[in-house]
Amino acid sequence: MSQELYDKSLEALRGDTPPEKRNIWKFGTREVVYSALGAALFAALSWVFNILLPMVGTGNVSFRVPIVVPMFFGIAFGPIVGFITGFLGNILGDLLSGYGFWFWWDLGNGIIGLVPGLLSAFTTDMMAGRSILIGELGVILGSFFGVGVASLSEMWVSGADWATVVGANFVPAFLADITSGLVLLPLLMLAYGAVVKSRGRN
Amino acid sequence: MIAAFSFRDRNSVMNRLDPRARWIFSLAYTLAMMLSWDWRIITPLFILGVVWYSMADLSFKETRRSWMMVSMMLFMMVLVNTILTGGGAGRIVPVTQNHIWAHDFQILGRSIHFGLTANRLWFAICQLMRILGISLVFLVIPFSMDTRAYGVTFSRLGLPDKGAYTIELAMRFLPTLMLNMNTTLDAQKARGYEIEKVKGGIIKRMARVAPFLVPVTMNAISSSEDVADAMDLRGFGTQKRSWLYQLNWKPWDTFIVALGLLAFAAVLLLVTLRGMGAFVTPAWFLRALGF
Repeated sequence: MSQELYDKSLEALRGDTPPEKRNIWKFGTREVVYSALGAALFAALSWVFNILLPMVGTGNVSFRVPIVVPMFFGIAFGPIVGFITGFLGNILGDLLSGYGFWFWWDLGNGIIGLVPGLLSAFTTDMMAGRSILIGELGVILGSFFGVGVASLSEMWVSGADWATVVGANFVPAFLADITSGLVLLPLLMLAYGAVVKSRGRN
Repeated sequence: MIAAFSFRDRNSVMNRLDPRARWIFSLAYTLAMMLSWDWRIITPLFILGVVWYSMADLSFKETRRSWMMVSMMLFMMVLVNTILTGGGAGRIVPVTQNHIWAHDFQILGRSIHFGLTANRLWFAICQLMRILGISLVFLVIPFSMDTRAYGVTFSRLGLPDKGAYTIELAMRFLPTLMLNMNTTLDAQKARGYEIEKVKGGIIKRMARVAPFLVPVTMNAISSSEDVADAMDLRGFGTQKRSWLYQLNWKPWDTFIVALGLLAFAAVLLLVTLRGMGAFVTPAWFLRALGF
């Protein structure tokens, strides 16, 4: 056995092998399934929390618990999965509720899943503090851009003025989304990290 | 709690239409509605939406929950944003003195003037027709479109196989997920967890949802591994996909697509060539209110 091969075997045994560089843009069979699952989960949870378990928080701001789903699927499985989870999930949720087809809000929810997905390139271990901090950053940035795009669209879709866009659309939705995301995303990341470790594969 | 798509074959006119034609019509209709604020364009489109909805033969009982959600959305957008606050009409409705009702309020020492004008009232009516029209057209879809048809429909409309199958798989996951949610909630309730009785501050309320959300999500991801393995074993993605559910295009499907595209084209022409995109309050409405 060559010295180089021997050294590499030792590294692997000690667990020093560096993690494989992750391709966040991969969209294979697993990503198709995760996207579909994420979208269905987002739609189903939206139904549950809108119809059966409405939660009105303090100060008349309602909290969008299901919004953590696209955020989590983005940070865990990449930007494409995150985007489809938010985009398709919102379309399905709206179809379930009879709201219709509101492209800009679907796009906004897709962006909420896309942005954490982009940051997933910097995460390796879901249970590491650094990864969780990156996830939290993704929550804030994703909500800002996603809700921002959707809220701004109300200016030409509904004819709303700037004060209504900011005060009635952007601020309540942004605050609701980051509250849900900042609290629940770390819990999901830790749980998923534990599941991955226990199964021994990613 | 069941929130799956409540499709059943009612043998209605809508059920017999090709799903591709229905989606093209629905999207063309939505785009046409979005192009203009003129009541002369919105009103016929709204009537078209009502006719479209009637073709599905849906009873109020089976769509009751959906209409409840639509009503909540209409309440916020029309009553609150447009009539009460006026912000929802701020960029569209010109400021006029055609007050139907005006009053000054004193709040925390500040004088707030509230006035509902005839123009804003008419805008609210147009907004109502717009949102209701779009809701009518899309509300029929989950009740009258076979859930097995979603994947093949979008595949035949040009979406890549992976995208179309993602949609199909999402539809298939929905009832299973709802069942798992039910089971998880019952299991947690048996352990003393009461998700309906969340108390405390914001963060505590959020954290109280975790015993429901985390197991539902993790169970779903774990079980999806088997689905992915099964798909890989069957060569998913290696060649062009065939679909079990077959679509049959008929002459009236061509008519429906033509109708939708014609409506969109007509609105586009009226908006660009005749300037009918802007909001207009009809003179007869102002006269009826005494202005």
